[in-house]
Amino acid sequence: MTWLLALDHKRVGILYMLSALLFFFAGGMEAMVMRAQLAAPNLKLISPEIYNQMFTMHGTTMIFLVAMPVLTGFGVYLVPLMIGANQTALPRLGAACFWLQLVGGVLLYSSFATGAAPSAGWFSYAPLSEKPFSPGAGVDFWAFALLLIAASSIGSAINLIVTIATERAPGMIMRLVPLFVWMTFVASIMIVFALPALGASLVLLLSDRLLVAHFFDPSQGGAPLLWQHYFWIFGHPEVYIVVLPAFGMISEIIPVFSRKPIFGYPFVATSTVAIAFLSYGVWVHHMFAVALGRNFLAVFAAASMLIAVPTGMKIFSWIATMWGGAIRFTTAMMFAVAFLLEFTVGGLSGVAFATVPVDWRLTDTYFVVAHIHYVLFGGTVFALLAAVHYWFPKMSGRMMDERLGRWSFWLIVLGFNTAVFVLHFLGLIGMPRRVYTYPNLPWFGPLNLISTIGAAILVFGILLFCCNVAMSFFFGVEAGDDPWNAWTLEWAAASPPALQNFTQVPQVRSRRPLWDLKHPEAPDWMVS
Amino acid sequence: MAMFLISEAVFFFLLILAFAYFGSMPRRIAPVGWFFAALLLLSGLSMWRAAAGSRLWRCITIALGIAFLIYQAILIGNTFLIGNTFFILAGIHGLHILGGLIALAIGPASALRPTALYWYFFVLVWLAIVLVIYFRSAA
Repeated sequence: MTWLLALDHKRVGILYMLSALLFFFAGGMEAMVMRAQLAAPNLKLISPEIYNQMFTMHGTTMIFLVAMPVLTGFGVYLVPLMIGANQTALPRLGAACFWLQLVGGVLLYSSFATGAAPSAGWFSYAPLSEKPFSPGAGVDFWAFALLLIAASSIGSAINLIVTIATERAPGMIMRLVPLFVWMTFVASIMIVFALPALGASLVLLLSDRLLVAHFFDPSQGGAPLLWQHYFWIFGHPEVYIVVLPAFGMISEIIPVFSRKPIFGYPFVATSTVAIAFLSYGVWVHHMFAVALGRNFLAVFAAASMLIAVPTGMKIFSWIATMWGGAIRFTTAMMFAVAFLLEFTVGGLSGVAFATVPVDWRLTDTYFVVAHIHYVLFGGTVFALLAAVHYWFPKMSGRMMDERLGRWSFWLIVLGFNTAVFVLHFLGLIGMPRRVYTYPNLPWFGPLNLISTIGAAILVFGILLFCCNVAMSFFFGVEAGDDPWNAWTLEWAAASPPALQNFTQVPQVRSRRPLWDLKHPEAPDWMVS
Repeated sequence: MAMFLISEAVFFFLLILAFAYFGSMPRRIAPVGWFFAALLLLSGLSMWRAAAGSRLWRCITIALGIAFLIYQAILIGNTFLIGNTFFILAGIHGLHILGGLIALAIGPASALRPTALYWYFFVLVWLAIVLVIYFRSAA
């Protein structure tokens, strides 16, 4: 009961994470249904209609009900602790946004009860999503649910922005805040600018479907392309909204387990801002297959390639941080290193897509599916797994089991790469995505079977990870306040932190306030 | 509030752009439209006085807001009848005005400053809509 009315940022954060986990199971099951259906050529386990609902719900769930809420949860939980505050600036707004988000998720899933879950894909292109082509109530549920979720995301982003702007500990200027806080700050500002574009497109779509408007109906003077423009003006920044906080987590974890401060803090922070600006100028690369004119394509292709530069800078900063460090390979660090590799694969296929002719060849094939899963699973989810192993002792007061952790790590790495890497080849030999089955062409059957087996291994890995979390919560070794010998302020609070995080905030004079506290003979602010 | 208004600005910018692009706007502004736009602008001025703490000006702002809302309701009914989708844009703006009126009527004194900011913003949004219609019909 105290959880239902909780305003404390730590409880709201954990509620966010738990709801995301719940929907992660739902989205994972949808993925497994699809992989089972695709295991062999000409299988007929489920109908094409159900298959369409599965990939639509899988995509929508994983983006809006898993990735965004879990990152918001980590932000709401960690940001006040990291900046030495006792609470977020707008605690009631923060709690209300969580419940709004949950209502949105439940609304989306209640569409199954009408027998017609949304089935127009997670980006619901018009005119497919219009009434004549999607007559069921599914798309209406989808649009209303996403309106609620968009409003909730904007609210929680405002909460985080105001918290970071006003609640920092004395002495903590913006040049000294931890990088996770920096990246959450930038991602939140991006939410404020990007999510209204989703809201506007949804309002227009709903007017078309439920009122008398014809915005996306070409026979009445509307333009289906408008949907694509508006949706991707939201959609591409969205990619960075769900990956920047993950970058932030990696920027906290790698230095601690390499026993070195982050290499090039100013570059990591400013390249984040560069990514934020560039991400608003690349949306057309989702639409290269639309005939838009050569100069148009050239500009957006160049911008899309440009965005690889600040992203690459971060990768090199992380590698340089590890270089020559005394690396401790805990499970958290292993996931962080795996993140570097997996995310780089996703980034490279992204640069391939920025090349217009390559995009024309590969658009709407499984190559796209492979790319987005390397970015969002290999990137965001691996960073999240690292983050759970790293911050679990702080949140629960107990350590996670390292042996189980290692097993789940190798199962997840093996399963994920087996499941998704072969999709690159399937895309290259021309298998289109979003089709419920395929004929028995050379290689199609074996490669798909490999992918399905990989997905099954991945499920075991994830389940093992969940077992580890549950068992460690009850039987784990006591963690103490600072089990990793870390440097940021959250480790100065108790584990788990009391309702009031800090009775006394340490003096902040550098980027590593706890290091200064532990090493009064050589504090950072003396050196730099 | 400023952050919230930024996101609202993006939202209305894209909506107005879509409506203007497809010509889903009224073709001209009747004199009564100018009158009520001016009325709403006046309510922005009275809100400025109300934000300084005057109860009287607060009541005047609410009265002007209600008058504008009634005009907007009639406008929405008319455009709906002739099949023009402009009523959607006007309706979304009207809902925001209604939200502002509620905050103004029952909000605590501490909420007055952000409410005023909110009010100015939506006065400006309506002016933007009216001007877009005017320049489109003039062109």
